[in-house]
Amino acid sequence: MSLLRLDSATIKFGGLVAVNSVSFELDKGDLFGLIGPNGAGKTTCFNLITGVYKPTSGVITFRGKSIGGTPSSKIAAHGIARTFQNIRLFRALSVLENVVVGGYLRHRTGLFSALAYLPSSINETNRLRAEAMELLKVVNLAHVADVRSADLSYGMQRRLEIARAMATQPELLLLDEPAAGMNPLEKEELLVMVKKIRDEHGMTVLLIEHDMRFVMNLCERIVVLDHGEEIAQGPPSAIRNDPKVIAAYLGEAV
Amino acid sequence: MNFWLIRVLSILGAIAGCAGLQVVAGGQSDYIQRLLILAGLYVTLSVSLNLINGITGQFSIGHAAFYQVGAYMAGFCSVHYFKSSHLPPLVWLVVTMVVAAIAAAGAGFVVGLPSLRLRGDYLAIVTLGFGEIIRIQVQNTPALGGSYGMNIEPKVQSIALVWLLAVLCVAVCRNLLKTASGLPFLAVREDEVASSAMGVNVTRAKVTAFVLGSAFAGSAGALLASYEGFITPATFGMDVSFIILTMVVLGGTGSITGSIFAAVFLTLLPEYLRGLKDASGGPLTLTGGTVVAWMIGVIFAVAVLRHVYEDAKRSRLNRLCFGIGGVVVGLIVQAIASVMMNKIGALHDKIIMIGQLRMAIFAVTLIVLMLLRPQGVFAHHEFSWDWVGRLIGRRRRATV
Ligand SMILES: Nc1ncnc2c1ncn2[C@@H]1O[C@H](COP(=O)(O)OP(=O)(O)O)[C@@H](O)[C@H]1O
Ligand SMILES: [Mg+2]
Repeated sequence: MSLLRLDSATIKFGGLVAVNSVSFELDKGDLFGLIGPNGAGKTTCFNLITGVYKPTSGVITFRGKSIGGTPSSKIAAHGIARTFQNIRLFRALSVLENVVVGGYLRHRTGLFSALAYLPSSINETNRLRAEAMELLKVVNLAHVADVRSADLSYGMQRRLEIARAMATQPELLLLDEPAAGMNPLEKEELLVMVKKIRDEHGMTVLLIEHDMRFVMNLCERIVVLDHGEEIAQGPPSAIRNDPKVIAAYLGEAV
Repeated sequence: MNFWLIRVLSILGAIAGCAGLQVVAGGQSDYIQRLLILAGLYVTLSVSLNLINGITGQFSIGHAAFYQVGAYMAGFCSVHYFKSSHLPPLVWLVVTMVVAAIAAAGAGFVVGLPSLRLRGDYLAIVTLGFGEIIRIQVQNTPALGGSYGMNIEPKVQSIALVWLLAVLCVAVCRNLLKTASGLPFLAVREDEVASSAMGVNVTRAKVTAFVLGSAFAGSAGALLASYEGFITPATFGMDVSFIILTMVVLGGTGSITGSIFAAVFLTLLPEYLRGLKDASGGPLTLTGGTVVAWMIGVIFAVAVLRHVYEDAKRSRLNRLCFGIGGVVVGLIVQAIASVMMNKIGALHDKIIMIGQLRMAIFAVTLIVLMLLRPQGVFAHHEFSWDWVGRLIGRRRRATV
């Protein structure tokens, strides 16, 4: 059984069909790429999967359960976490605190024990902080754990978003243009990091990316959107030579 | 074991401290006692509003409404049930504080739930409206004394309880921020979309903060009712909400320390002004012209200071000089404007006692703050021993 399945997922904003009958399937352990020109509807696909929007029609199933239209705050508990194309960190909070918010989902003590500062709450806080620290090591941010997240460099902020999403311990990780704004060296590191997240942390990864080289090197399967429609699907070698894809990118080197 | 020992000792310490304050204040004039009570109540009110506005990032501007709900709930209970309860007055006061907190929390839930589900400034409008509705409703309810007010028995004046509530309110907010449970509230303030993607129930966090903040305001209301022994709807007008809001903004939204200092400062400032005497020993008065001139002077000073602040490249000395320069410019402009304004007959003849300028001073404080330091005096910083250590450490290093 597939982990995530989009079946003719469609959403209209007024007259604009942002995502038009898109279908694809992810299996557990996939490293899946979602590509397409600007405005193709990639981010909107993420928003459909994570409950930011409700599909106008079509079905989205995760682990066999329909999740289309589930409120976004419940999606994380189902096991899907995401990053944002336009970075959305909790800017005034420290790097570590950002990750603890991701882990808060698994926090087991009640509000009262926090208000009374009971040992149970203190222990729980320490546990979440230790877990968050481990994740910061995965994304090479442990040395800046106490820095205000707004003060990080762009590349570091992107990595922090990944760590924060991982803190919810998702089965499926959605990364929206994780390499945007990174220099070649940082991209190289990110490539290794994403592979590691899949191989060592067992998370399935669905990622949107503009950098073709990055996607082709990383992903094992790719789906291509253009104007909200799915125009191709398959392994990188097939996508590279697909005439429709080449046309959509208007001769850009694919 | 050690943990519980420290916990018990700190609770006993807080109780002893508040009781000690009451003993010391007992020897002072009624006026000093009144100031202590008001300062304590305003600490509770501003810290609890800070939980809503500063920590959770909402914008409630009608906090006095919950203060009023608490006061009237406590008053009503005292009038009807105190005699039959056969409780000592002080114990009864604690009971009414709890009842008032529950009533205000309930009101907070009813008002908060619908408006906090939406994004945007609905809460500001709704809380403002709720404050007025409650006030006018009470004015027209004979059972609550209508606009004449309500006499409350027993009249208990407990400085200790007032400050214990303040300490409790501060402790609860501090505890929240020290544990992971506080993070969802801060996360909601920072980014609602990202919070909910991380599994934070945004509405729940907002409503929780709002209900908790309202409960503390309600409890403070019970203390006010029993201290005054008499409450009228006019005690809880929009100006009270506005004062509490000014305290939160002045101290720095999100800084508990800032709220405490601002609450005490803004409680004492008007009293200090009222006490100012002119040369002949009467209360200090100003002409309308002078007041207008001061406002013009402030505008000029702020314009200069803002110019300096925005240029990050300046050196420290340069900043200091221009800072002093800005104040001097303000004073000169004030002096010139004062002469000119007082030539206008109507402004010259209007005599204002300085104590009456309270609201004008609050308004000007807010505007100046928004222009020069929108994050508030303390920004989001908190008092900590660490910080004191650094301060002393720095001073020590400087003297070596
Ligand atoms: N909330 C919205 N309301 C109206 N139009 C939207 C909304 N969200 C996205 N769109 C439109 O949908 C299209 C796809 O956007 P998006 O998914 O962000 O593209 P991309 O593939 O670059 O991520 C764009 O034309 C965008 O303007
Ligand atoms: Mg996008």
